[in-house]
Amino acid sequence: MAGFDRDQVNVQFRIWAAFAISVVCFAVLVGRLWVLQVEQGAVFRDRSENNRLRTVYIPAARGLIVDRNGEVLVRNRPSFNIELVTEDSPNPKETIEELARIVGQDPEELKVRFAKEGRRRRFEPKLILRDVSRDTVAQIAAQQHRLPGVVVSVVPTRDYPFGEMSAHVFGYIREVSGEQLKSPAYSDYLLGDVVGQYGIEAELERYLRGERGTQGVVVNARGNKIAEAYRSAETSGSNITLTIDHRVQLAADAALEGKKGAIVVMDVRSGDILALASAPRFAPALFTSEIPKDAWSALVDPKENKLSNRAVQGAFAPGSVFKIFVAAAALSEGVVTPKEKIWCPGSLKFGKRVFKCHKHSGHGSVNMYEAIVQSCDVYFYTVGQRLGVDRINHYAQQLFGLGELTEVSGRDESKGIIPSTKWKETYFRREEDKKWYPGETLSVAIGQGAVTTTPIQIARSLAAVVNGGRVLKPRLVKRVVASDGRVLLDVPAEPEVLRTVDLDPEVIEQLKAAMVGVVADKRGTGHRAALPEKFNIGVGGKTGTAQVASRESGNKEEDHAWFAGYAPADNPQIVAVALIENGGHGGVAAAPAVRKVLAAYFGVPEEVEPEPKPQSKKRKPKITVAASPRAAGEG
Amino acid sequence: MLAIGRRVLSRVDWLLFGATAALLACGLVVLYSAGYDPESKTNLFGLATVDFASAACLKQAVYIAVGLLVMLVGMSIPTQFFFHYSFVFYALSIGMLAAVAGFGVVVNGSRRWLDLGFANLQPAEFAKLALLLTMARRLSRNPPRDGSSYRLTELVVPLALIALPMGLIMQQPDLGTALSLGIVGVSQILFMGVRPRAIVTALVALSVLAYPAWHMLHDYQQRRILVLLDPESDPQGSGYHITQSKIAVGSGELFGKGYREGTQSQLEFLPEHTTDFVFSVWAEEWGFAGSVFLLLLFFGLVSSMLRVTARSRDLFSALVAFGITAQFFAHIVINTGMVIGLMPVVGIPLPLISYGGSAMLSLMFGLGIVQGVSMRRLMFRER
Repeated sequence: MAGFDRDQVNVQFRIWAAFAISVVCFAVLVGRLWVLQVEQGAVFRDRSENNRLRTVYIPAARGLIVDRNGEVLVRNRPSFNIELVTEDSPNPKETIEELARIVGQDPEELKVRFAKEGRRRRFEPKLILRDVSRDTVAQIAAQQHRLPGVVVSVVPTRDYPFGEMSAHVFGYIREVSGEQLKSPAYSDYLLGDVVGQYGIEAELERYLRGERGTQGVVVNARGNKIAEAYRSAETSGSNITLTIDHRVQLAADAALEGKKGAIVVMDVRSGDILALASAPRFAPALFTSEIPKDAWSALVDPKENKLSNRAVQGAFAPGSVFKIFVAAAALSEGVVTPKEKIWCPGSLKFGKRVFKCHKHSGHGSVNMYEAIVQSCDVYFYTVGQRLGVDRINHYAQQLFGLGELTEVSGRDESKGIIPSTKWKETYFRREEDKKWYPGETLSVAIGQGAVTTTPIQIARSLAAVVNGGRVLKPRLVKRVVASDGRVLLDVPAEPEVLRTVDLDPEVIEQLKAAMVGVVADKRGTGHRAALPEKFNIGVGGKTGTAQVASRESGNKEEDHAWFAGYAPADNPQIVAVALIENGGHGGVAAAPAVRKVLAAYFGVPEEVEPEPKPQSKKRKPKITVAASPRAAGEG
Repeated sequence: MLAIGRRVLSRVDWLLFGATAALLACGLVVLYSAGYDPESKTNLFGLATVDFASAACLKQAVYIAVGLLVMLVGMSIPTQFFFHYSFVFYALSIGMLAAVAGFGVVVNGSRRWLDLGFANLQPAEFAKLALLLTMARRLSRNPPRDGSSYRLTELVVPLALIALPMGLIMQQPDLGTALSLGIVGVSQILFMGVRPRAIVTALVALSVLAYPAWHMLHDYQQRRILVLLDPESDPQGSGYHITQSKIAVGSGELFGKGYREGTQSQLEFLPEHTTDFVFSVWAEEWGFAGSVFLLLLFFGLVSSMLRVTARSRDLFSALVAFGITAQFFAHIVINTGMVIGLMPVVGIPLPLISYGGSAMLSLMFGLGIVQGVSMRRLMFRER
């Protein structure tokens, strides 16, 4: 190692030199600090007081929801939110009380809301009132000097040009909840963000949401914006094209007006849902601002169950509509021939029990066609008995897909029940309940007993009967296009076929003929579903009248009315299924509803025929509902 | 070889150690404030989640604990080990820098890290030490031929030794580190003595080279230097950092706004207020008095390191200690000068105060080496 001759390289001197340099440098630094902090300190103190940078998030407008023809169903409008920046308010409590006085609200309620908005930094605005009126904004602006820290922000919110139409399909948006924020699925959401909570808004949240922008805003001590430091623009959400046809949907909604129930209209060729209506409806716009207490209790009233989408969440006994599938099973399995006549005296004695036909005087001797057209129960008790419950289950569930999730909407879909001996074994826990009694088969054969299905299932399964046996995946979404025009999702025109039921074409023809008879035959139960004859669009279908509770229990509630129809009869394009809760007879309550949506689809004027009342000589005037013309082949 | 006797231990430079400890403590204090976020729970390196309001402060405490161990390691390694292996380190560091240029990880537009699978390595930190040791060896073995100062021709090899890693780091691009590397190497040369004529020639050559070099700088670096000359010209763009930092420092006035009351930093005005601009936070909250106190601690640190240099046993040790001193000094002056608008914003952290694990470990290792030089100052020269 080299020797360290201190004198030779004169290191000591240089260390002193280095020391001197460091003294000088530190002295310069101290001098500079003196100038900045002491001499000019007051100036900088002033600038720091008047100078605040706030990060402001610019909420992105959600994507639009349009129908299959481009009609805008859900859009955005500017809304005004009232916020408070704690830091700028010397006494937030007083400010809130003053604000409550000005806008005429309960100060305690506002304080609670303000407190719930916790966990924010004091320079970040906290939301107090959402979506207030322009008048309120004007009042606040006029009293601004008494409301330190109160700011009005303009954010896009949902607007529904068709009001309550398809409310259950769209769902609603609402501020992200505390529980949601805790879950990893919502990790990139901030307190105060709105998020789709139900329906399409929830299921396609990732598309609709868009991306928030950020803005660095320099504001003075009073919270007024001085300058913008930086900005990254927001990206609007993607637009969703639904398969819904708003004209059909409007007709369906109108047909359900004032009732409880559901209507499903589906294209039998593609699986596209043209209308999905549920009543009673709710106003999705309610959710964009604070919901008044009484409005909220009306929303969640269990008697009304407004938020429930009965079309996919309501599992009801299908009643005689189910006979289509029992008939399909009976003919395919050969337990009965189309010509075989079965005697209906108005009831069937089975063991010790008497099973009544809905026509207590009896249908007399009926074959398959007549049994479907007149909806004879005794006929189906008999073939049901011959089939046994498991063969009924095989056709209705395994083949036609009743009692099976359609997955048209991601969550909260009801499955319904198509009973079988195996189902009973697994469903019940007590040994004595697990046994299948032959008498139960009779109830199942007419769509009663344990059988429950959803309107959407009936629509899909009926579509399979009339489209050549193809069980389709029903679909609501057609296309997703990003705000920059990129197509993110484009559902192909061809349907997604889940399976094909291999029925004898002859059996299908017999079923179709019978269903046409239901509407066209003078004895048919569903003649009210017929479109005016001059348009030459045949309608086929089946009525259903489901008992709400056994008559023995003395329940006075009206039956649930069903009608499941399709048209045109010779070349089916769509199925339309209507369920009217406690509507009474299917042919009376549900068949006209189906006629209305069919008329809307085919663009023909729908004549409301007066109820035939032989005792009255005065005829009611015909009411014509105009519908825009449309090519019958379109769909 | 690693054993440290009691007598050796007694020669630890306690002034240096005291200044180090005091600065580390100040660092934790300011980081608690700068990183304060009552809403966050600190995730401690994926091992545990701790309910502590300042993630930066808590993690820094862990880095300090590890840093103290690293310092002990630095103290234990005999100086001749560094002497013997300095060129190996140098070759290694050049290899790693080349590897980074080839397939490093890009973060924030710069290619600075090597992904080792379990951790990211920043070879520039290692290169600093390797260059410092290599320079010390080269210079101590080749003192000026005339016995007092170098001619320019004698400096070709040392300057080339500096230029190679410096160039590699410059193209990452990491201007701050490259600059500090250059300063350390040149200060070691100056420590040995250079003829005035050689210095003048070098300066002239440098200014001639400055023109193409200026155009080699990245846009943002050019802008930063330009903005330094006139920060008010672009208060919302490049000058934003400097302007806001000056407001933070100046608004501290004589005694500061009070602990955790600094609006400039608490309102997240300063984008890097736990790292490069941590001094602004300190100055805002503790005022002129606090700033001078911190600078005095730094002055004590540098002075005691110079004292170790002066007392070192041999030329190699002196050059090593001096190089490390120069590195600390350069970082302190550049960083503090930067936040008060005297230096361009080059992205050099404040030693022992700024948040950051890699820098902490490398600084503590350097301090360990200096302490090692101090401890062995009276040992007999080994043959």
